[in-house]
Amino acid sequence: MAGRVVVVTSGKGGVGKTTTVANLGTGLALRHKKVVMIDADIGLRNLDVVMGLENRIIYDLVDVAEKTCRSINKALIKDKRLSNLFLLPAAQTRNKDAVTPEQMIEIVEALKDEFDYILIDCPAGIERGFDNAVAAATEAIVVTTPEVSAVRDADRIIGLLQEKELYEPTLILNRLRPDMVRKGDMMDVDDINDILAIKLLGIVPDDEEIIISTNKGEPAVLNNHSKAGEAFRNIVRRIEGEEVPFMSMGGEPGLFGRFLKMMHGK
Amino acid sequence: MLLPAINPLNADELVFKGLKQGLTLFIPEKGPFQHWLAVLDQRLDEAKTFFQGGAILVELGERKLAPGELAGLRRILAKYRMRIKDFNPLGKKKLNPRPKERPLLPSGALLVKGTVRSGQRLENEGDIVVKGDLNPGGEIVATGDIIVLGALRGVAHAGAGGNMQAEIIAFTLAPVQLRIAHIFSRAPEERKGRLGPEVAYIKGEKIVVERL
Repeated sequence: MAGRVVVVTSGKGGVGKTTTVANLGTGLALRHKKVVMIDADIGLRNLDVVMGLENRIIYDLVDVAEKTCRSINKALIKDKRLSNLFLLPAAQTRNKDAVTPEQMIEIVEALKDEFDYILIDCPAGIERGFDNAVAAATEAIVVTTPEVSAVRDADRIIGLLQEKELYEPTLILNRLRPDMVRKGDMMDVDDINDILAIKLLGIVPDDEEIIISTNKGEPAVLNNHSKAGEAFRNIVRRIEGEEVPFMSMGGEPGLFGRFLKMMHGK
Repeated sequence: MLLPAINPLNADELVFKGLKQGLTLFIPEKGPFQHWLAVLDQRLDEAKTFFQGGAILVELGERKLAPGELAGLRRILAKYRMRIKDFNPLGKKKLNPRPKERPLLPSGALLVKGTVRSGQRLENEGDIVVKGDLNPGGEIVATGDIIVLGALRGVAHAGAGGNMQAEIIAFTLAPVQLRIAHIFSRAPEERKGRLGPEVAYIKGEKIVVERL
């Protein structure tokens, strides 16, 4: 059976696409799926760093597209922790035009039969890099943070995905701060759902562990004490088709909080 | 130019008015046509941002245009991306101050299924009905009415081209900006509460919003 090809995109930069890909890829591999992550952010590659695989790169996506390396398998880097997880890194010294959407389709087609999941890390923006990342995908995950600007860009991206016939993208809401939502200082899930109106795949709380794990090159999903890691593990299960209830964002409002909520009629 | 001193050609006599039929340019009957063209050119140049192009009506009264004069008028309007939809909307009955009621041109409505998202823009000669939301960053432009069967949070321009009777209706009206004909309005900075279905239309020279 051919694998699922999922693009992770957002429009806006810095909302956590790469972190999401690293965690979902690792999470799926932990469940014994054969996974390859493709970094489509040519010229600004990060996924290798987040995975801690930077020093193992020999060939990259552009080499594969231009057929500089003899076979696609030569460019795949095996993860240092999980033997069924692979990375196809982006080229750092080229730009987005170095690969065409047709080449991306060709590359993905070559990988499809061998893997259960192909996760594509889409660059920010809506130009060539986006076209490349989306070209071969059959599913899309949109990542946003609870900020008006990120939600606006996510909305734009959902429109563009639909133009590319990816009609039912799902949403990951990243870096939610429950304390701020409770105080009414941050958009909450309902506000965002109101605008984007697509299926919510998961909510990832803001978590300092993520910064530490990103810097260490160790996805948070491997860390059992990380709240964000737990959220990503739940998302992985939902991707696999399980019904998983959304986790409580910690610290339910106390008596006073509930009273305030009542006063605001929510 | 030899003109009667008691009747100077006051530039203010050339006016744009919103009639029921649409935005209308009134060119005075008196005086050489070339003069009024120069006035028009200057007026449009001063108000470039106000007149955003589109089709207008031209009221000439009893004046008859020579072919060259008509071409001159068209040329100046074209410079500001405007064109002439029709002449003399007031008809010949100049004594009747009420503009003659004319049925609106029958036109097809555009039915949009789903949400109009940021970066998407829809245009239609006629009405537009959206079965979904209009999100911030999205735009809808119709020469007729706009009806959003959901939340209108983006930019809606009804009556584009000058139809001042056009209306904007939404189940939740929370726009970034509303435009009807040539009139613009911004939503108040802070609007509390959802008020249910509302309609926006032109009253006087302003856009007003009422519960439907």
